Amino acid sequence: MLDNVILGDNQFFGINHMSEEKADALAVKFRTLKAITDVIDTAYDNGVRAFMLNTNERAREICDHLRNNPGRYADLVLYPSMPYAHKYANIVAEKGIFGAIKEVLVSDSNAGELLGMIGKGSKIFFDKDIIKTMQLLVDVEMKIFRNLTVKVVFLQNIVTDLLLGFGIKEIFVEYVRYLRDKYDVQAGFNTMNMVKLVDFLGECGIENPIVCFSINKAGYLVNPDISSYEKTIREKHFQPVAMSVLASGAVKPKDAIAYVCSDLGIKSVVFGASSARNIIETKGLIESYC
Amino acid sequence: MRLKAGFIGFGRMGITHFSILNNHPDVDVVALCDASNTVLDALKKYLSANIYSDFRKMLANEQLDFVVISTPTESHAEIINAAIDSNVHIFSEKPLCLNVGDGEKILSRLAGTSLVNQVGYVNGFNEIFMEVKKLIEAGVIGEVKNFSSEMYGATVLKDSKSSWRGKKKMGGGCMYEMASHCINLAVYLFGKPDRVTGSVMQNIFSSDVEDLVSSTLVYKGGYSGTIHVNWSDASYRKPTNIVKAFGTKGKIVADKHAYKVYLREPAEAYGFFEGWNTRYITDIAQSVRFYVRGNEFTRQLDHFVESVQTKEPRNQANFAEALKTDAVIEEIARDAAQSFAAEKKQPASLFGKILQ
Repeated sequence: MLDNVILGDNQFFGINHMSEEKADALAVKFRTLKAITDVIDTAYDNGVRAFMLNTNERAREICDHLRNNPGRYADLVLYPSMPYAHKYANIVAEKGIFGAIKEVLVSDSNAGELLGMIGKGSKIFFDKDIIKTMQLLVDVEMKIFRNLTVKVVFLQNIVTDLLLGFGIKEIFVEYVRYLRDKYDVQAGFNTMNMVKLVDFLGECGIENPIVCFSINKAGYLVNPDISSYEKTIREKHFQPVAMSVLASGAVKPKDAIAYVCSDLGIKSVVFGASSARNIIETKGLIESYC
Repeated sequence: MRLKAGFIGFGRMGITHFSILNNHPDVDVVALCDASNTVLDALKKYLSANIYSDFRKMLANEQLDFVVISTPTESHAEIINAAIDSNVHIFSEKPLCLNVGDGEKILSRLAGTSLVNQVGYVNGFNEIFMEVKKLIEAGVIGEVKNFSSEMYGATVLKDSKSSWRGKKKMGGGCMYEMASHCINLAVYLFGKPDRVTGSVMQNIFSSDVEDLVSSTLVYKGGYSGTIHVNWSDASYRKPTNIVKAFGTKGKIVADKHAYKVYLREPAEAYGFFEGWNTRYITDIAQSVRFYVRGNEFTRQLDHFVESVQTKEPRNQANFAEALKTDAVIEEIARDAAQSFAAEKKQPASLFGKILQ
């Protein structure tokens, strides 16, 4: 069972779709680890147990903090989202796609791990075997969450959607299988193209997939349109997780949650908030409409 | 009408374009070509398209309707000319060519054909900038007297010799890579300047290419603007465009997330009050059939495909339009080189002479 209420982390990392000014202000506000953990504490103390976390530079220190205080966060579960695409973007610009992957693998690993990888990945750096590369990248990113409770690992939308365009079923199938077999966690997919993705995962034979997508009455980041999203939610068998429900503030919280949870019947919502008041209000709304 | 597509260049932009068009209901991607083949090697067993390392072989063997060129800029002219020989429609990444002469030759070769052509100047397909253009053309801020088009990013924070983007000869550098977008946005919104002055191309971290470009664009109509581009600015998480236009009735400040309009008098037809008005992307955004990395990427390719289907050569960002940007790039480079030469010739200061 997925959690109803999942606190997102975009606000911590200076991400706001509506305004670059607001995004900068957020980045300044959450400059210190304490500012972030204060919000996590506030959410936790008000009953939020599920947290989404992108595998960016800050994720490491947040996870260290969680590991160092196991008693404080006994029931906390993480919904990581990987990879952190911006980490790769500039290296890709410089070194090409495989050059970037190689650099990330090498820089994130110690010598022993590298030997292990080369053994397991059998000439990964020469073969260009896409499935093995994917597995090694998952291993690198999963190290960040070692010894923490992870429920679902989401594939970031930039990667999901790029691969969806390629239409290579094997990568999706192997991603789900690898996370299940090696880490005993469920795979999820973030996407900006929910309808296409749900259909595609069905063709891949992935049963009851977990799909996280933007959904709001403003239609923001809903592609191709709201009516096809509503139809897929009604008719297809999958586990929907809603995000961008407030469309970065363009929709009022009560209307937004009523639409997503009550009208559409979605049981899991990722939301971003920093103040106790907003966390309590949104959590209360999700629970009352779910 | 179903179209057969071939892709030349399979790096970062090539794979984005492929992902978007591989999903297009009217397009069959039948051939992929990359000289180094690294990514294609890894993917070829999963893809149905034919794989090539030589674009001439691909053009000769395949019955293509159009090609998508995403190779380093240095090779654009040669590939585009080969594509014209094969009578296929052409989408090319920006800039069009490394020099205006090559671009003009391509235009004259295209003149007698019905081949549709487009360059990947994507800002003109962003909803905010599309709307800003409409507002400016409608005269909402009056007569434009001055503008600035700025672009910043953290693309290059150390010297890079390994990538073609760090090599001048191959079309690397902040000018071709980033400033071209910023200049194109200025040309898209305000037209081609009649001359440029005070241009600077300066390095920050790179040894072979410039990391900063700035210039003043002057128009015969009695207005001017500036461009300022720095791709070595770590304070930007993502590449960021900022456009400011000042007119006789007000001004507009826009980035990809929002635009603000200041008006001396209300413009009721647009719902604008006197003073500041803000519109966010969440109010303006239009969905696309398939989203990868930003909906403007899909919008520009779908525009191209539609232009091919309807044989409409006056499409947005066509080669003739793109060449205006190439011409400004060339002028700025010439102007910057001249000022740099003048700087070198200046006599040393008196203090310097005493020290000598």
